[in-house]
Amino acid sequence: MKDQVSALVDEELSLEDSEYLYTAIRSSENLSESWTTYHLIGDCMRGSPIFKSDLTDRIMQQLEQEPVVLAPKAKKAVYKTPTLWSVAASVAAVMFVGWMVLQQQVQTHGEAAPAEIAQNVASEYLLAHQSMAPSNSAYYIQPASYSESEK
Amino acid sequence: MKRGVLGFLLVSHVALATAAGEATGDPWMVLQKAAQAARELSYQGVFVYQSGTGSRSVQITHMNYGQGEYARIVVLDGTPREVLSQGRDVVIFSPRNEKVIIEKRRGQNMFPAVLPSNLDAIKTSYDVRLGGLERIGGRDGQMVILSPKDKFRYTYKFWADREYGLLLKSMSANERNEPMEQFAFNQLTLMNSQKMDWFQPNVSPEKQYVMEEPATGRSAPVDAITWSVDQLPSGYRKVDEITRLVPGKPAPVTQIVYSDGLASVSLFIEPLLKGMTPKVGHSAFGATHFYANVLEGHQVVVVGEVPEATVTQIANTIHFKK
Repeated sequence: MKDQVSALVDEELSLEDSEYLYTAIRSSENLSESWTTYHLIGDCMRGSPIFKSDLTDRIMQQLEQEPVVLAPKAKKAVYKTPTLWSVAASVAAVMFVGWMVLQQQVQTHGEAAPAEIAQNVASEYLLAHQSMAPSNSAYYIQPASYSESEK
Repeated sequence: MKRGVLGFLLVSHVALATAAGEATGDPWMVLQKAAQAARELSYQGVFVYQSGTGSRSVQITHMNYGQGEYARIVVLDGTPREVLSQGRDVVIFSPRNEKVIIEKRRGQNMFPAVLPSNLDAIKTSYDVRLGGLERIGGRDGQMVILSPKDKFRYTYKFWADREYGLLLKSMSANERNEPMEQFAFNQLTLMNSQKMDWFQPNVSPEKQYVMEEPATGRSAPVDAITWSVDQLPSGYRKVDEITRLVPGKPAPVTQIVYSDGLASVSLFIEPLLKGMTPKVGHSAFGATHFYANVLEGHQVVVVGEVPEATVTQIANTIHFKK
């Protein structure tokens, strides 16, 4: 299931074919976390600024590309066409992602700062040096402060 | 006719002997080839990093995919840190208890790509000579020694794969010849595949992924020009400068990075405000030396994988313009 969530995020699965996934993601807390995580990682790897609304844009683009059925059809089929379903699912997904992003931001602001303050001053400089130095091997060994700041 | 065959045999024998000889060729060429190989080849391996009493096994996968370089580095011992890089963009995943912190960085010259493409800066500060051959991780390595021309840097030894050119091992040592840092491959293979399926982090869905707050403000503040380093140790040049707000500090901190092509040092300067405890003194942590000083109402801290003399001289020769 998690692989499928990952595939959906990576656009390997199409939105239309994965309605069941949305249902599953929304009902399972575990899966919804995976969904957010894969997006966060995906955004990082692509170098796009975090929390950028590119996912929303992508979904809206896909929606626009979907053919609009103009020809009249048998009445009973109208309410169950895949197009309508996917619109509903996509909108739900956008709202859901928006909500998750908000959650994420709240948590980031709430917890990241105290951890940095807790680090002692010397390691603060060491970390800053390591993150800027052109050749830095010490990357592999975490500075002592990392374990100290763990709570 | 016989003489011709004999002559040919002799010539080929001499050629073989030269190829297998220990101190042949231009050592700078060996290093130049090593710098290129680390970026141009596609390889996979496990190396061990040692510094002070700490050591870590690290797995590296590096691929040159035509348009660019991709690498995934996984720390195999202790905390399963992961580093993924694409060109000069680096993303680091560091698990901390229930969370995974995601940090974004700019390009790092990480082993085996520790040598800069342009060796000119190194040539002015180090003397070079070839050492012997040594077998490392099942491969034959040609040793090249870089000896510092002054007391402001460590000695570096590199072992380059005789076939691929890639660095198999690197080591730095202080003036008493004590090892400071060392990297050595246990295992190294070249990859022929062009598949990119390895280029993704190992995601733990049960953990919460958190983005580290990015460092803000890359522009130099107005008061950055009120001081200068009068006697920067020779060979070191400014490679980067950043001014940022550090959580818990009211005034921005300026960081300047100097490098001689191999070693790098960071200089931090911030105004010493009321309530701050001034720090003065020297300390060392593995290959890293710290020196803190207070000068004209500013806290100065110098940190780097360089000898004590380097951090001390930088910190003590800062001159504030009135």
